[in-house]
Parts: sequence; structure tokens; C-alpha cells
Amino acid sequence: MTMSQAKSNWSWSWLRRLEALLVIVLVMELLIFSRTGTNFATRENMFETIKLSVEIGLLALVMTPVILTGGIDLSVGSLLALCAVGFGKFWRDAGLSWPLAAALTLGLGSLGGGLNALLITRLRLPPLIVTLGTFSLFRGLAEAITQGVDNFTGFPEDFLAFGQGYYGGVIPAQVPIFLVVAVMVWLLVHRTTFGRSFRAIGFSPEGARYAGLPVPQRMAIAYLLSGVATALAAMIYVARVGQAKADAGAGYELLAITAVVLGGTSIFGGVGTVTGTLLGVAALAVLKNGLQLSDQPSELAGILTGGLLLLALAGEAAMKKISARRGRLATLGASRGQSG
Amino acid sequence: MANLGEDRFRYPAGPPACALGINTNGRFTRSALMKSLLSLVAIVFGSLLAGCKPSAPAPAGGTSASGSAGGTQLTIAFMPKSKGNAYFIAARQGAEQAAKDLNVKLLYDGPTEPDPAKQNEIVETWITRGVNVIAAACENRDGISTALRKAQSRGIKVITYDADAQPDSRSFFVNQATPEGIGNALMDEAARLLNGSGDYAIITASLTAGNMIDWQKAIEKRNAEKYPNMKRVALRPCDDLKDKAFAEATAIMNANPSVKLLMNICSPAVPGAAEAVKQSGKVGQVKVIGLGLPSENRRYVKEGVTDSVILWKVQDLGYLTIEVATAVAKGELKAGAASFRSKKAGEVKIAGDNVLLGTPFIFNKDNIEQFDF
Amino acid sequence: MSNSAVVIKRHFRELSVAAVFGVLLLVLAVIAPGFFSRQQLLTTLTAAAPVLIAACGMTLVIVCRQIDISIGSQFALCSMIAGLLAKAGLPMPVVALGAIASGGAMGAFNGALVAGLGLPSIVVTLATMVTWREALRWSREGEFVKDLPDHFQWFGLGQGGGQGVILIGAMLVFGVLVLAMKHLSAGRYVYAVGADRESARLAGIRPGAVTFVVFVIIGGLVGLAALLNAIRFADVDPKTGTGLELQAIAAAVIGGVAISGGRGNLWGVLAGVLLLASIAPALVFLQMPPQWEKAIQGAIILLAVAVDGWRTRKEANIG
Repeated sequence: MTMSQAKSNWSWSWLRRLEALLVIVLVMELLIFSRTGTNFATRENMFETIKLSVEIGLLALVMTPVILTGGIDLSVGSLLALCAVGFGKFWRDAGLSWPLAAALTLGLGSLGGGLNALLITRLRLPPLIVTLGTFSLFRGLAEAITQGVDNFTGFPEDFLAFGQGYYGGVIPAQVPIFLVVAVMVWLLVHRTTFGRSFRAIGFSPEGARYAGLPVPQRMAIAYLLSGVATALAAMIYVARVGQAKADAGAGYELLAITAVVLGGTSIFGGVGTVTGTLLGVAALAVLKNGLQLSDQPSELAGILTGGLLLLALAGEAAMKKISARRGRLATLGASRGQSG
Repeated sequence: MANLGEDRFRYPAGPPACALGINTNGRFTRSALMKSLLSLVAIVFGSLLAGCKPSAPAPAGGTSASGSAGGTQLTIAFMPKSKGNAYFIAARQGAEQAAKDLNVKLLYDGPTEPDPAKQNEIVETWITRGVNVIAAACENRDGISTALRKAQSRGIKVITYDADAQPDSRSFFVNQATPEGIGNALMDEAARLLNGSGDYAIITASLTAGNMIDWQKAIEKRNAEKYPNMKRVALRPCDDLKDKAFAEATAIMNANPSVKLLMNICSPAVPGAAEAVKQSGKVGQVKVIGLGLPSENRRYVKEGVTDSVILWKVQDLGYLTIEVATAVAKGELKAGAASFRSKKAGEVKIAGDNVLLGTPFIFNKDNIEQFDF
Repeated sequence: MSNSAVVIKRHFRELSVAAVFGVLLLVLAVIAPGFFSRQQLLTTLTAAAPVLIAACGMTLVIVCRQIDISIGSQFALCSMIAGLLAKAGLPMPVVALGAIASGGAMGAFNGALVAGLGLPSIVVTLATMVTWREALRWSREGEFVKDLPDHFQWFGLGQGGGQGVILIGAMLVFGVLVLAMKHLSAGRYVYAVGADRESARLAGIRPGAVTFVVFVIIGGLVGLAALLNAIRFADVDPKTGTGLELQAIAAAVIGGVAISGGRGNLWGVLAGVLLLASIAPALVFLQMPPQWEKAIQGAIILLAVAVDGWRTRKEANIG
């Protein structure tokens, strides 16, 4: 078989193995914590865990296409704060009804994503630096708008129900929203040619360009989507916590990136799945929840998260080396077979 | 580094179709292994969801994981504003002492930095875990009240300490002193040091912290009522960081040479500002007071940089909080009571639903040696 | 093109940053001359010195086409170690060595994973940042390292002497690195590996070794920066170093270091560090609310890279 085909086969096979490892880790977490955690293995807790991970989950879902194109978006946490504060301002100071304010907030999110998109695709600036700049800029704008002090509260009950309510008393209200978005993102990335282009761009932007893909437009859409989903996550956050303040979402971008990378998406782009991201989010959420229910300090969750990430990466690298060696031996054997 | 379009050498520029081709291949080579593993997860997850056991409703009462000898030991969940603060470390010491004396199980957790959303998450997880009482110091009044009300609806008793939530979300607020008491003590001490007239600046933790805002308002009120010749020329936050307080204090003094006193209402800021005064060579010209811990400020008080440090017996606050929590859980302390007997603090007054530890205590050169926290 | 025009074009970035800095200084001179009081200048500069050292290390890393976002946690850990060593009664030279060595060790850990296993540096340093930070928080629980011996602060040299040591130390490090990057072949290797790894390898340079050493160097520099920062105070706050990685990266980027590797020099970084270090105190002097600091920082970063990108496109279109 040709070199490129061999490469494509092993790149998919080691990815599958990494996801499988992640599944094993997740199952182990579930088993261990049901032993050590109080009330861990209960229906209520499972739903609580999902509920608390919806915001990061949304961010991680849309971070996947961004990273697939070989980019990164460090500004999602700050954009979340800006959208939360913006929503509060639209609703309270401009006196709009909350659905209208929500629509405007989605627009604000797309503006934020659009700024990233513009700088990255038009000016060809590195995504890391652009989103580093917008990371500070968006947070700073959120703080400046509220003078750091303002805190929007007292939202109407029917809005808060989206973050605090339960369907049938059991299913948290934000879970269906999350599922819908998850399915949509999965369809987009894995079942449309549009989504395939993300991976193509990440794998080789030049190659994608030669193949006729509108690379700047596609990349821009990835960042725009990221902005819109961040706005949605912001509103769910506000509904859940009941307040909108400028310090919202601090550190969320790192958790989202961790979940995506843990799920097997390569930070260089071109390889990755949405299911992997969901598994990554689940693994992190269960870890945090399980440790807390086992009366462990929250710092331990952070340490284990970092360790898990390193293990996942090292495992991925090791498997790559093994596969590459196997591939080389195979081609060696094939050529030797051919010549002799 | 993330792909920046200059990776010609990472992947040889093969036939363009390959760039798209991998995905076509990939889609058709999902293995049965992957599918079966995913279904395994779905099964485990699903069975948990279907409820191997329905969640234990009201407080588990420590029966499952506490390993206490003989039945119903109370479980009290104690949350600081942030774990990384010596003030709350001292409060925890008092709380742990009380837990030992009263034979209750103490859970201690909190965000590592002041973060209201994380406080909510921790409360939610405690609700799931099942505790008898939650005692929390609230970073921000409104957000956490949502979670606390939910806890109350599940039969968990809620009290707050040091920084309050909304009154309907908790039974009692264990307050070290009223905001007026604190604000007045600070303002009076400032006035005493400046003989009633002069400019001063306030350094706070963050502009959004609920109790800081209360104290600021009390200070302003006292200032306006009693000391018209004193003016606040600057109010800057230090984000609960000593080194940032140092930088802010230096800048304030240089930008406003008329400032004669620095009032620091967040505990890491007191040594930070004192160091700034010391390094500026303005010891004696600019006075330093604030709400701080004796141990962090002993050096500066002894050197005469800091004149007085106002606080309260923080460990007693922690101790009292656990006592009140236990009493509320056992039904011994009910709404409408006028006083409460504490082992450490004696007979404490209850004003409405505020349990008052007492009045602020002034540490200065004469007495700071005696205190260890 | 005339000679001066060529010089301006080549050093456009450094000059423009310096120009912006100059404008800021001018505004301050007019509105709030107190900024230039000896005490304020000294404080601003001694606070900026550790950041400069860290930013120089970050420049090396970025030129080598990697990134290290764990230096904030490294900084905090090295500060703690310095404090604890001093508290244990060890003399200051040993304390200094300890701080630098622990920084180097952490850098070596990062470097081993990046160079040895070929893992992407952004994810490795993300993981180590979180792990080290949480481990530090868990062990210290936010408690200062207090009651340090008297010879800890300012190395026992008193305020003037100590500040002098800090400033001279930073300038020495800066000078050594400028010379090394330009004249030592080891310095040129870093540029080579960053510009084109494969070509560097074919030219006989070992990219893995170079990358590893670069991480060790930034670790050691961060340890030194932590030490120089810690001696400004009488006790050590474990929350120190928050946001250092952002400041260092921002200073490097503003100073013209290309994130794609292979380009950039330290003079721009110096200008970037000075500019960023002046924003916070300038806000106090200009009586502006402190919330604007982050927005301004972000705007400056975006402006700097946008100008870069715009110029590159213009040149590409013309040429």
C-alpha cells in the first residue's frame, strides 16, 4: 500500500485506541467513585454532574472544529463573561424582554467570534496570539462595562428555569439543549462535507487550498460558531447561577481545551472526533464530581486532570511510535518481498 | 505549535486528494471494538442513571462514608470564600476544634480563589452527597442564594458566616460584627490617627465582594457623619493579592502625595501596603491600618509601620459557626432567639437572625504578641 | 532606500513599540509627573525586572517554535522553595541556587516530554501548569511563608542595595542573552530549529537537544526571576506569579517575536515589558478605573499583531 494510505490507516487506528483508553478510564472512574463516593452512583448525581458540565461541554464541543482546523481559541472563557454581562445589560438596562436579550446576546457572541475570525483569516495572524489578545480584551470589556462592580440579578423565573429547572423533576433543563447542540456539532463535523473540510484544513491548509476549499471562509465559520455557542453557554451559566458578573467563566477555556485534547483531537489539527470530546468532558466532570463526593479537596481534581492529560498524551505518542515502527517494518518487509 | 500554515515539512505535500481522502477512509474504518466499548459505557452509565439506588434524599447523616462509631453523627459542610486565605485558614482551625469538641464530622471545601460560580458547584455537590448543615462564607450574595435555597428545600439547614447570602436562603448569619461596627471601628481609628482631618485611601479585595461593599458603605457613612474633614481620595482593588496591594499602595502614594493614611479592608493588603510604605521611606508620614491577621502584621506593627490592625478572634468565629450549625441541626436554636451560649465566646447576642460574635478587636503594639493566628 | 530608512524598516517593530511607550510617558509627564518620582520609577522597574527575565526566556522558547504556559506555576513554586530554604536557615547563595535549580528541573520535565516524546508543548505545559499550581495550593493552602530571616529581604543588603542587585541582575541576563542569541552558535541553533526543524536537522543540529535545553533555560530563568521577585518582600505569597505567562508571551509578541518561530529579537521584548509594566501604575496616576487594565492590554496585543499582519500582507502584495 502507498505511504499515504498507510499513514492514514495508522492515524485513525491510534486515534481509535486512544478513545478506547478514554472509555476505559471513564468506566474505571465510575466504578471507583461508586465505591468511595457518597451518593455517587445515584441517578440524581449523574444528572447533577451532567448539569454542571453543560457549559464547559458546549465550549468543548465548538472548540473541536476550531482545533481540527489547526487553530485554537483561548478567548472563550472571557467571551462567556462578556456575553453574560451583555445579556444582563440588554435585559436590565435596555429593558428588553429576556428572549430578545438572548437573541442579541447570541449576536454579541458571534461578533466576538467574528473578531477572532477576522484577525485570523483576513490578517493571517496566528490563532494563539489573536485569541490571547481577545482573551484579555473581552474580559477587560466585561469588567469595564460593569465597572467591575455591577452584578445583574433578579432574572425572571421562566428564564432561570433553563438553568435551574428540571423536566419531570429529574432531567435538568439545560441537558436537552446540550444534547441538541452535541448532535448538531457531531453531524456537522462527521457527516457533512463542510465538517470534513475542517479536518482537511487542519491536516494541510495548502493541500486543502489546492483542492479548492475556501480555507479562510471555513476557518472563519469555525470561530464564529465558537462565539455563538459561547454566548449560549453564557446564558445557561447566568440561568444556573442566577447572576451575571464580569468574573464568569474564568479558566473555562483551559478546561475545554483539556477535554478536547483528552478526547483524542490532535492540537495540530486534522485528527479528532466529537465523540472523543464528549468522552473527555465526561471523564473530567466525573473525576471532579467523584472526588468531591469522596470528600477529597478540589485541588486533587486539578492535579489528577493534569496527570491524566499528560498520560493521555504520552500514551498517544507511544502508540504513534509503535504504529510507525510497525508501518516501517511492514513496508520494509513488503519491499524486501518484492525484490527478493 | 498549532498549525500555522507553514508546516510544509511536517506532511509532504502529497496529492491533494489525500488531504481529503483520509477522512473518507476514516469514516469507513470505525471498528467493532470501538462500538462495543462505547456500548459498554452506555450500559454502565445507563444502569447508573436508571438508578441502582435512588438518591438518598435529605442528609445521609454521615452513615455511608463517615465511618463514625454508632449511627447519627452530624455532618457539617464548611465553606470559605477561598481556600487560599490565611483568614479562612484561621477560621477553619476554630471550626475543626469545635467539630472535635462537639463530635460532628466536618467537611471543608471551597474554591481556591474567590469565585462565586465554583461556590455554587460545591454546594450543589454537597446537596447530592447529603449533609446536615451547610455553613458558607458567600463571595457574592445573589448567586449562591440560589443554591442555598435548593439545599434548604432538600432539608439541609443553611447558615452563613463572615459574608452573608440573601436572608431567605439561610437560617442564621454568624457575623463577626455588624458592618457598622466594622466600618466605624476602621473610620474611628483612622480619625484618631489623623486627628480628624486628612486624606486617606482604601484598598479592598475586589470591587464586587459583597461584604467589602457593605464595609465600604459603613465607612463612607461614618466619614460623612462624624469626620467631615477627612476625604477618601482613592479606592483600588488588590484581587486578594499581597504583592498587588503593594504595587497599588505605592502608586497611590506617588499619585496622591496628600494621602496620609492607607486603610486596607482585605487581609493580604495590610502587610502589602505596610511594605509599600516602608519601601517608600514614608513610615510615620503615611499611616497604615486595616483588617488583618496579627501573625501577618506582627513585624510591621512592631516596627511602627502599621499602627493598628483590626480584626476579631477569627478562630472563635469558626468555632461559633460550628456551634450554631450544630444547634440549628439539632433544633436547639430556633428563629427568634435573642442570645446563644457559646463555649468560646460566651453569651453572644442575636440581632434578628444575625448571631454577633462581638465587637471588633484592635491589635496594636501593646497586645499583638499575645495572638497566634 | 536611504540608510536610515533601511534601519527603520528592519527595526520597525521595536521602534514602534518604543514610540508608543514614549507617548505614554509623555502623557504621564504632562498629567501626572508623580510617575517619575524616584520611588515610583524604582518600584515599577524592580517589579518589571523579573518579568523581563521571564520574557527573555519565553522569547527563546517561542523562537524555537514552542510555548510554555506553565511559567506562572513554576514562578510560584520557585518562590516558595526559596522562602522555605531561607527559613530552614540556609545561606542566601544556596537559596538562590535552589530556586534556579528547581526552576531548571521543572523546565527539564517539560523539555523531556516535548523533545523526548514529541508532545505538543502547549498541551504539555497546560498540563504541568495545572498540576503544579494545584499541588502548590494543596500543600500551602494559601499560607504565606512568614518569619523569614532578616537576610532574605534584599539579600540583606538593604533596600537600595537590593533594588540595585535586581536591576543589575536583570540587565546582565538580558545582555548575556542578547549576545548569546546573536553571536553564539548555540543561539543561532535556536533560531534554526524554530525556523525549519527538518532543515536544521539536515544541517547537523539536533533539534531535540536544542528544544530540551531551551526549556531548561526558561525554567532556570523563571527560577531566577522568582528569586529576584521574592527578595523584594519580607514574606512569600504563594499566589505570586499569577498571569506571568500571559505577560511574558504578550511582551514577546508585542516586541515582534513571531509565534511561528525563527524570528524575533530581545530589544523589542524589552520595550514590550516596559510598556506593559507601566500600564497598571499609569492607570492609578491617570485616575482611571483599574478595570481598564485588561482591556488595554488585550487591545495592545491585538494592535501589535494586527500591524504585523497588515505589513506582511502589504509586503507580500507588493513583492
